[in-house]
Amino acid sequence: MAVARPQGADHALLYVPGRSFLHRLNPLTKLTLVLWCAVAAFALPPEGTIPLALLSILIGSFAGAGRVFARRLALTLLPLSVALFVVHGMLVDHAGARASLLGLDLSREGLAYMVRILGRIAALLSGSLLFVCTTHPSRLLKALDAHRFSPGAAYVIASPLLLLEPFTQRAKAIREAQMARGLDLEGSFMTRVKAFPALLMPLVTLALADIDHRAQVLDGRGFRAMPHRTVLDAPADSRQQRAVRWAVLVSIPVLIAGGVLWHL
Amino acid sequence: MALINVSGLSFAYESTPVLQNVNLSVAPGEKLAILGGNGSGKSTLAQWIAGWLPRGSYAANAGEVTVEGQPWAELDAATRAGAVQFVGQVPMQQLSGFSFTVRDEIAFGPGNLALPEAKIRARVDAAVEICNLGHLLDRDPFSLSGGEQQRLSIAAALAMQPRALVLDEPTGNFDPESREALLAQLEKLPGALAIVWCDVTLGAPLSVAERVLLLDGGRIAYDGDVAGLLTHPRTAEIFGLPAVAQTALMLRERGLWPAEAPISMDVGRVASALRPMLESAR
Amino acid sequence: MKLETKSLVLMAVAIVINVVVGQIAVWIKLPLYVDAVGTVLVGILAGPFAGALTGVLTNLIWGLISDPVAAAFFPVSLVIGALAGILARMGWFKSVGMTVAAGAVIGVISTIVAVPIIVYMFGGVTGAGTDFATAYLLAVGQELVQSVAIANLVQNLADKILTCLIAWLIVKRLPMRFTSGFAFYGYTKA
Repeated sequence: MAVARPQGADHALLYVPGRSFLHRLNPLTKLTLVLWCAVAAFALPPEGTIPLALLSILIGSFAGAGRVFARRLALTLLPLSVALFVVHGMLVDHAGARASLLGLDLSREGLAYMVRILGRIAALLSGSLLFVCTTHPSRLLKALDAHRFSPGAAYVIASPLLLLEPFTQRAKAIREAQMARGLDLEGSFMTRVKAFPALLMPLVTLALADIDHRAQVLDGRGFRAMPHRTVLDAPADSRQQRAVRWAVLVSIPVLIAGGVLWHL
Repeated sequence: MALINVSGLSFAYESTPVLQNVNLSVAPGEKLAILGGNGSGKSTLAQWIAGWLPRGSYAANAGEVTVEGQPWAELDAATRAGAVQFVGQVPMQQLSGFSFTVRDEIAFGPGNLALPEAKIRARVDAAVEICNLGHLLDRDPFSLSGGEQQRLSIAAALAMQPRALVLDEPTGNFDPESREALLAQLEKLPGALAIVWCDVTLGAPLSVAERVLLLDGGRIAYDGDVAGLLTHPRTAEIFGLPAVAQTALMLRERGLWPAEAPISMDVGRVASALRPMLESAR
Repeated sequence: MKLETKSLVLMAVAIVINVVVGQIAVWIKLPLYVDAVGTVLVGILAGPFAGALTGVLTNLIWGLISDPVAAAFFPVSLVIGALAGILARMGWFKSVGMTVAAGAVIGVISTIVAVPIIVYMFGGVTGAGTDFATAYLLAVGQELVQSVAIANLVQNLADKILTCLIAWLIVKRLPMRFTSGFAFYGYTKA
């Protein structure tokens, strides 16, 4: 139950290496800005969300992530646009005037609604892409550690990101091995369904086999012996950034209030 | 006082007995090899020595393991980590899964103890030097080869500054070259560090160990020096002796081996033991 | 609530299982996501709290690696993990029949959580295959919320029943040496 997923996407991060201003910003400052964008996406009308999205895209392009932005936005927004156009432009019984375009009977209200949803998703997506594209997860985790975040919580974020690549490789190796033994991924629906356990079981068994040992390794190295950890090369922070974070957080209730007033 | 003391330890997984009345002690700085065939219980014993057992529902049926006189269970996490470190046989399983670079993997343990950054750096540098990892510091630990991962695991263990290092078949999946590299690295370890090397083969561990334990069916069958192990009746059955040692034993049976020379696996030592005899024959 | 280290490691691996099994489902062109096997597994082995956390984190990780919008569905994953744990506590994963029932319950309740997100955030569409069903139901005269609910319920029921069955199969095959470390599993073991 998630929105449409890019077919055959590999699991490499969306992160784009670089040295831009955004890359150098403390991850927590960026995270606060993402939070602000998320609230703004819901609080602001399309007149606000669309410029916000455009601004994010512009900044993202300057930070060197233009291609990722274009690809991700297209993959998410194009199918959504088509679906919203059909569902709200044509099918849902919106009140108000109707318009005719290329022989289609369309609801003006429905089209306005479509623009609102698209503006919201665009703002939400491009705001979070700014963070994701310019922040390597290791920087985020170091920033969290440096701010005395719980080591256990940091672990469950870091570890999947690290294990994903080796396990995707293992899954591919199992797929090749099974195909060499005659597994048919292009066959009939039933053949493919029957292939599911053959691909999945060895992988899961392998993944679970490591757990006991790794837990012992962690405990053996003093994991969670102290309420927080020390990290090397924690991302730089500054008084200005702390001030910005506070200002952004304080402005969020204002933003929400503004959004409510605007809707009234 | 002994660094580690195992007294009267008996242990079973479910109803399968694995260890039976095992007694041994490891002195500070001692280099010990625990050898045995598959299923002899050496990996389980290694886990007891390293404090990985007891855990969950698994407890000793009898006996206990103490570190400097204290049972494992009474030590807090930080003390445990500084007492004994364990490196197992599957390289990828030894990685914390927390660190995106080799440098951070080594710094992981000391970081958990919330040591000051400068101290962590010093420990990392020392471990990197011993394990020869300088050129890999910024790599993803999961992208390394098995041999490199194993060297990394040992470096991460050393960064905890333990008093004993327990190795369970550390070179099990290695090609000869990686095995030589690891052995060369172990020679650089501080002399005060005790090593307990558990293995199924005679080769590599015997080049490090001063004392050997032979574990057979969960019991200690032999405890002594390398020469004594090579002449123990079970040794040849369990491991198969290398040609050099076989030759020496054969010569001894025929009364041709010099009485004062120990039986060894080392070609150089055997040659020097035989040299006077050969020279007098000439 | 402090989880054991072993539960934390299980959660991390379960998140990877979620993603990779979901990927395998794409390989075999299954019309379902099957991206919560790990979450249900954690629910059964380590309880509702760990299960819910695994669900939330999976969506967060999805956000970091491929699709930030996926993070918006975190409440759905939370409910899946929590329900798997609660149903396991009630012994619903003891047999194959009960497991199917558990999958159906999880399918229905997670749809109830998903529908408001789809309707409010996305205007009732997701950009995926279910949109065709939604559009069809609208065309034959259903209201938007009902259309979204019915279209997603059918798919989600099949998805969650399959997910639970796979998780059950995996758990049943786990060696005792492994499961003995998870006390919560006692509620599932006969």
